[in-house]
Amino acid sequence: MKKRTVVLALAFMLIAASSLAAQQYYIPLISKGFQHQFWQAVKQGAMQAAKDFNVNITFEGPETEAMVDKQIDMLAAALAKKPNAIGFAALDSKAAIPYLQQAKTAGIPVIAFDSGVDSDIPLTTCATDNVAAAAYAADKMAELIGGAGEVAVIVHDQTSRTGIDRRDGFVNRIKSKYPKITIVSLQYGGGDQLKSTDLAKAIIQSHPNLKGFFGANEGSAIGVLNGVKEMGKVGKIVVVGYDSGAQQIAAVRSGEMAGAITQNPVGIGYKTVEYAIKALKGEKFPKFIDTGFYWYDKTNIDDPKISAVLYQ
Amino acid sequence: MAEPIIVVRNLSKAFPGVQALQNVQFDLCPGEVHTLVGENGAGKSTLMKILSGVYQRDSGEILIDGKPVEIHNPRAAQKLGISIIHQELNLMNHLTAAQNIYIGREPRYAGGFLLDERTLNAKAKELFDMLHMDFDPRTKVGELTIAKQQMVEIVKALSFNARVLIMDEPTSPLNEAEVEELFDIIRHLRSQGVGIIYISHRMDELFRISDRITVLRDGQYMGTSRVSETNLDQIISLMVGRKIDETARRIPKGKPGEVVLDVRNLNRGRLVKNVGFTVRKGEILGFAGLMGAGRTEVARAVFGADPIDSGEVYIKGKKITIRHPRDAAKHGIGYLSEDRKRYGLAVGMPVLDNICMTDLPAFMNAFGVLKPKKMQKTSAEQVKALSIKTPSLLQKVKFLSGGNQQKVVVAKWLVKNCDVLFFDEPTRGIDVGAKQEIYQLLNELASLGKAVVMISSELPEILRMSDRVVVMCEGRITGELDGATATEEAVMKLATQRETMVKTA
Amino acid sequence: MANKPDDAAAATSLSRKTPETRGISARQKLLAFSSLVLLIVVFSILSPNFFQPYNLIAIMLATAVNGVLAIGVTFVIITGGIDLSVGTMMTFTAVMAAQTVAVWNLPVFVGVLMALVAGTICGLASGIMVAKLKIPPFIATLGMSMLTKGLSLIIARSKPIYFTNAPSFSKISMGTMFPFIKDFQIPNAVIILFVLAILASFALNKTIFGRYTFAIGSNEEAARLSGINTDRWKIAVYAVNGLICGIAGILIASRLNSAQPALGQGYELDAIAAAVIGGTSLSGGEGTILGTIIGAFIMSTLTNGLRILSVPQEWQIVTTGIIIIFAVYMDILRKKR
Repeated sequence: MKKRTVVLALAFMLIAASSLAAQQYYIPLISKGFQHQFWQAVKQGAMQAAKDFNVNITFEGPETEAMVDKQIDMLAAALAKKPNAIGFAALDSKAAIPYLQQAKTAGIPVIAFDSGVDSDIPLTTCATDNVAAAAYAADKMAELIGGAGEVAVIVHDQTSRTGIDRRDGFVNRIKSKYPKITIVSLQYGGGDQLKSTDLAKAIIQSHPNLKGFFGANEGSAIGVLNGVKEMGKVGKIVVVGYDSGAQQIAAVRSGEMAGAITQNPVGIGYKTVEYAIKALKGEKFPKFIDTGFYWYDKTNIDDPKISAVLYQ
Repeated sequence: MAEPIIVVRNLSKAFPGVQALQNVQFDLCPGEVHTLVGENGAGKSTLMKILSGVYQRDSGEILIDGKPVEIHNPRAAQKLGISIIHQELNLMNHLTAAQNIYIGREPRYAGGFLLDERTLNAKAKELFDMLHMDFDPRTKVGELTIAKQQMVEIVKALSFNARVLIMDEPTSPLNEAEVEELFDIIRHLRSQGVGIIYISHRMDELFRISDRITVLRDGQYMGTSRVSETNLDQIISLMVGRKIDETARRIPKGKPGEVVLDVRNLNRGRLVKNVGFTVRKGEILGFAGLMGAGRTEVARAVFGADPIDSGEVYIKGKKITIRHPRDAAKHGIGYLSEDRKRYGLAVGMPVLDNICMTDLPAFMNAFGVLKPKKMQKTSAEQVKALSIKTPSLLQKVKFLSGGNQQKVVVAKWLVKNCDVLFFDEPTRGIDVGAKQEIYQLLNELASLGKAVVMISSELPEILRMSDRVVVMCEGRITGELDGATATEEAVMKLATQRETMVKTA
Repeated sequence: MANKPDDAAAATSLSRKTPETRGISARQKLLAFSSLVLLIVVFSILSPNFFQPYNLIAIMLATAVNGVLAIGVTFVIITGGIDLSVGTMMTFTAVMAAQTVAVWNLPVFVGVLMALVAGTICGLASGIMVAKLKIPPFIATLGMSMLTKGLSLIIARSKPIYFTNAPSFSKISMGTMFPFIKDFQIPNAVIILFVLAILASFALNKTIFGRYTFAIGSNEEAARLSGINTDRWKIAVYAVNGLICGIAGILIASRLNSAQPALGQGYELDAIAAAVIGGTSLSGGEGTILGTIIGAFIMSTLTNGLRILSVPQEWQIVTTGIIIIFAVYMDILRKKR
């Protein structure tokens, strides 16, 4: 028993020693989760960057996005390892502030990723530029309906960052670049499929000439799709969605949905590590790093680059 | 004689569907042991539970020291000086002896919230000393033998300054030596003026310990007599309403047949040492010995329930290896354990399922689906053959009487066509009438050509039933007697023949 | 009687054996403690970052909430029951405290009181369901778990409530009463855990409450027949557990500076695991607070150590699972002996 413990300890020591041998930068990433496909894709990007830049990373996140305290324990443990830099996607920014303050005092640069950290401690945030992505959705919509006609929008809510950014990105692009297109209706469905479906049906009912419909997140997009189907307008109204999910992917594949915007989680992970290293090298960079997005439709949905970032 | 402590007059109690007690009378004087006997369901327990405050009477009166009283709950009974020691000991295994004795009335301080452990242990020690028991009150009850646990219960009862001590079947889990020790304590208490109400199925004990005996039958009072003025036959005939010849020997029908089971040089741990015996077709082999002599261990070893250290087992002259009860069953050896509820029966399941359980594959079709018709037919046959009293095949076993539960276990093994049946204490906890049925059953099995091995701690039973008697002591077989001529004295002598004594002899 | 001398011998050998048995049980406790020490030693050897004041405090802080919950659930398990609602009950009390302080603008101590009262009421309700309505504890507390989770979400409108108006609230957990040693300032949450552990241990061993907790778990029927009002004491045990959940609720709300209504589910299993690792028997009648605290520390030390060693998260989970099974198996082994 005792002997085995000693052997085990020696084995561990060897592993630890070998990892210490290479004087690499060590950058722990604390995410909001780790089991979800989205976070696995972020991790994949981060690992790729670690390989490319020859640094050492770990990637951890709590089991559910509710476990705020567990995430903070992870952050505390990461700090105890005296890392060179930290990547952090806060479940709750305010709860994490004391630890981020500690990192700042210890001179450890913090790079926020995904939705970021509501504080000025992180040097930058690597996330999807939702404004730009939604604007691109507007461009695609204009192209698909021939640059003129009536469109409608369903957004999940008017308070969350993503809701505001996606709404403004889409609406402003249409207004500034496509004067012949009019947004006849903009409603909020709470991201709820059923509610969004009812909303979409009401809008279609009152605007018989509607040519395009944009749903700003998964629930909204599915709602729009259902509404179009139930009103018998498939093929007559162009549907543009956002994010993925099994239903949306199937709809894109069948052509019921013209296409959708997806974030690029692999890019989020990659950029987080890349900018952590830039920070360590003392480079200057902006407060926000766009990690990119993709437009996917029937033609490119099976492209490995796209399918890697879509989740069921 | 002194004034009685308790007088019960015209007591009646009914439960839905049963008149448990009808106009029963009873009295108890200080310094006497008054035994209450009757078959299961005669109303003994009900009477005891009314006296100890668990049940409330329907009519009649209870006088304590000549004054009518109401006993609403166990607390009230304790206040009146009545304590009961139940058949299942009501102790908390994880607490110490002292903590058990004073549970609910611990010495306290600081406003009654904090425990005074020192006083607690001192008071318990005092009580043990009073009864001349050398005992550390700080021992956890779970670490004590059943006999010692019983002592704790008795001390607990006395700590209430009990003037009346009710003991329900106190000796059934005890061995001879422990019974004697218990009787010493009972006699000591009697000499202190405590009145003791004693309930037991062991008829021989009644005459050793009682002053008076009261018989109940079907909830009715049958009579009270002084021990010096009655005898066993009289008591039993009062109990069952018919005369049972408890001492009649079994008369074997014809000569026993070939040797079915031959066990040689069996060894397993401390309690099975070099054991060898044979059983023939159509005979009943009695296994006698004191508690802990290793009889059950032998049966379990032969049956494959415990791995053996060494030894050989032959069935009809063929050597077999038994590693698991499955193997034993395959070779036609059945074991009916002492603790039917724990090892022998799924009490929450119907009769039918229990009977068919050991041989389920025989009732399955090629796809592993059960054939209910075949199961029904087989179990109906068994119920009829063994005259198991059950309202239906779907009755849950737990609602059957002890004797009928035993029969269900037997049926299980008969379904498997066993040739050798080990019965481990088949009549424990069964009333006199049901015992008769079990005896009859064993005789029938023998005459059907089964080889029956009966382990029993009751000597009269061994002598009555066995063709041959094997006696064990401390893991060894100390002798074999012919059933027809064996006497209690001869068996007891062998049962106490310890190894050290053999060597010097 | 020929057997008399033997029995006397048996009796004396029994009394001789008793101090020895007590020695064994002391050694068992030492065993649990030494496995914790072993963990710490191994991790300290494997990583220079492990045995650092900062990290030790991180471990203690990570133990605080689970440790407090585990103390409460230990009482319940000793009675032979189980409480699956401690995690969400904690959340509910946190939300009630936040509602009081942050929404109704009442002083911090009223919020604390509110959490304790809310926890006690929930526990009381569970206790009544178990003792009076005879609902199996597993189901009754599962129901209570869902109920408190739902109520938390409703009251908080599914969003965290922040103590923006009461910065002192975070001091309850994160401040320190002993700011004397630089770099090793033990946060109040940890001190509260230890004080509670001492109080609970005292209650379990020296008071009527503790004695009856064991009695009920050991043999409820016997306890009842001994004149103990078992229903009432059972309700009391569940209520005390609720009260302790209230303490945990205050600690976690204070640590996160907010009440997170979605948090809490799954925490009960960690608490139960800590108690069982610490030697509390799920069949009742056995358990110590010291054991539970050691169990909670084993869990958090293991988690922290594996993180410090950068073991991949998936393997951390596997390892923790193996250790829990191993710890409980060791316990079964020693009981067989």
